[in-house]
Amino acid sequence: MNSVEAVVAQIQGLSGSGSTAQDLVHLHTLLKQSDEFLSSDSGRAASLLSQLDPCIHSLGYLYILEACTSDPISKDQSSEIALSIAGFVDACKAEQIRLAPDKFISVCRRLKDQVLLVETPIRGVAPMLTAVRKLQSSSEQLTTLHPDFLLLCLLAKCYKTGLSVLEDDVYEVDQPRDFFLYCYYGGMICIGQKQFHKASELLHNVVTAPMSTINAIAVEAYKKYILVSLIHSGQFSTSFPKYASSVAQRNLKNFSQPYIDLANSYSTGKISELESCVQTNKDKFESDNSLGLVKQVVSSMYKRNIQRLTQTYLTLSLQDIANTVQLKSPKEAEMHVLQMIQDGEIYATINQKDGMVRFLEDPEQYKTCRMIEQIDSSIQRIMALSKKLTAMDEHMSCDPLYLGKVGRERQRHDFEDFDSVPQKFNI
Amino acid sequence: MDFSSLTEALDSQNYAKIANICDTLLLQVAAQGTAFQDEWPYAIHLLGHIFVNDINSARFLWKTIPAAIKESRPEVVAAWKIGQNLWTRDYVNVYEALREFKWSPEAQGIVAAFSELYTKRMFDLLLSAYSTISIQDAALFLGMNEDDATNYVVQQGWTMDSSSRMLTVKKQAVKAEQKLDSSKLQRLTEYVFHLEH
Repeated sequence: MNSVEAVVAQIQGLSGSGSTAQDLVHLHTLLKQSDEFLSSDSGRAASLLSQLDPCIHSLGYLYILEACTSDPISKDQSSEIALSIAGFVDACKAEQIRLAPDKFISVCRRLKDQVLLVETPIRGVAPMLTAVRKLQSSSEQLTTLHPDFLLLCLLAKCYKTGLSVLEDDVYEVDQPRDFFLYCYYGGMICIGQKQFHKASELLHNVVTAPMSTINAIAVEAYKKYILVSLIHSGQFSTSFPKYASSVAQRNLKNFSQPYIDLANSYSTGKISELESCVQTNKDKFESDNSLGLVKQVVSSMYKRNIQRLTQTYLTLSLQDIANTVQLKSPKEAEMHVLQMIQDGEIYATINQKDGMVRFLEDPEQYKTCRMIEQIDSSIQRIMALSKKLTAMDEHMSCDPLYLGKVGRERQRHDFEDFDSVPQKFNI
Repeated sequence: MDFSSLTEALDSQNYAKIANICDTLLLQVAAQGTAFQDEWPYAIHLLGHIFVNDINSARFLWKTIPAAIKESRPEVVAAWKIGQNLWTRDYVNVYEALREFKWSPEAQGIVAAFSELYTKRMFDLLLSAYSTISIQDAALFLGMNEDDATNYVVQQGWTMDSSSRMLTVKKQAVKAEQKLDSSKLQRLTEYVFHLEH
C-alpha cells in the first residue's frame, strides 16, 4: 500500500460488514506497516476520515485519527480535535480498538491534553469514562487510562463520577505507574467525598506497593495517608507493615517530617499542642495543598476525645465534657455530641433538663434480617477473594521464571537440600 | 440541550433522581463541547444534591459555577445558602435559607419537598439524640414556632412539662424484620460446616 486512498480502501474492505476476525488481524498488520506514511501525510489522511464510519471501521479509523492528530495542535484547533476524538470514543467498537490498545491510549491522552489546554477538563470526563470501559476486558483490569480519568474528575470537580470506577476491585495491573497514580488520585477523590476509610485503603496501597526507588507519588500519598489515618481512626503508626518495600521504609518518613510531628502531637490528645504544631508547620502544609485536610484533623480530635469519654463514663454533664475536651461552653459540647450522634459516631442521649449526656451501647444486636444479609454478602466476598488468592498462588508456583529464581536461591543458601528443587525448573 | 428527562422527573416529583439526571446530562453536553454554563439549571442541580443529602457534591458543583452566573442569578446563590448551612451544621438557618427566598416556579416543588423532608430528618435526629429538650430548642430545630412545634411532637407521644418548658421525648420502638427464611439459615450452616472441616 502506498497511498492513503489505498489504505482507506483496505479498511473499508476488511472491516466492513461480513468481515471476519482474521480479516481484522490482517488489516491490523497492514495498518502497522503503513503507520509511518500515514503520519507523514496526515493532512491527506484527515480529509479521508469522513469516508470511514467510526463504528464499523473502528480499527482503521483509530489509526488514521491518531496520525492526523499527531502534529502539534494549535489552541484554536483544540476544541475541534477534542470533539472528534470524543465522538470516536463514543462510537467505536470495543473489540476492534482493543487490538491496538497503544494507539487508543495515545488518542485518548491527546483528548485529555486538549481539554486541559482549553481549561475545560469537564469536557473529557464522560469520554474518558467510556474509553476506560471500552479498553478494559473486565472490570478487574486496571488500564493506563484509569489515572487520566480520575485526574480529569479531580480537575473538573466531578468527584462523584470518579467514585464509580473506584468501586471495582482491581486484580490486574500492567504498569506500576498506573497503579500508583490510580490509588493516589482515587484517594484524593475519596477524601473529597469524605469517604476516609476507602481513601486510607487506597493511599495505603501506594505506600506499601513494591518499589525499587522512591517516587514523588508515594511521598505525597504518604503525607495524605498520615492525615487520613488520623481523621479516620485517630491514630497513626510510623512502623510499616512487613510487606512494604525497604525503599519506602527507609525514605518516606524523611520526606514527611511535619506530618510525623503532627501525628505525634495528635497522640497527646491535647488540642493546644496539636494547634501549635499546625501553626509551626503551616507554610509547609499550605505549599503541599493539605491545609484543609489538616484542619479536618484538628476538628476530628474533639470527636476523638469525646469518643474516649464514652469508654470511661456512663453519664457526664455537658459542662464536664466542655471542660475535658476544651470546648468553650456546654452548648458547644452539646452541638458536638449532637453531630456525632447524627453521624453514628457515638450512641448517646442528651438530657437538656439536667444538662447531662448518657452514653449508650451500640444498639445493634446482629439479629435483624438486614444485618444477616450484610454478613452473608461479606462472607461471599471473602470467599471469592480467597479463591482468587489460591488461584494466583497456584499460577505463580507454576511460573518457570519464579521457580527458576527460587530454585537458584535455595541452592545458594542451603545447598545440602538438593532434592527439594527439581532440576528441570532451573532455567 | 435536551432537558426532557429533567423536566419529567421534576413533574413527577421524583426529586431523589434529580442529582443523577443532572450529573449525567452535564457531562454529556460538556463532552459535546456545548457552552452550557449560561443555560444550565444550576439552582435545580444544587437542590438535587441537597435533596439526597450529598452536600459534598453540592459544594463541588458550587465551586465550578462561574462568578458571573453567581452574580446574575440570585436563585443559584440562594440554593447554595441551604447547602452551606447544612455543610456547617447550622441546623436552624437551613429553615431561614429555605424561607427567605422567593423560589421560581420550577424550584418551588423540590424546595417544598426538601423542606418537609428536612423537618422529618430533624425530628428523627431529636428523637435519637435527646431524652429531654426545651420547647424553645425543639422549635428551632423543627423550624416552627413554639406552639406548632409542641403540637407536632405531642402528636408523636412526647410529653410537655409546662412549668419548666421542657419536652420529654418518647422513643419509638424500631421494628426491624427479624424473621429468617430457612434458606439463609441453611447457607450459614454451610459456611460453618465449611470452616470446621
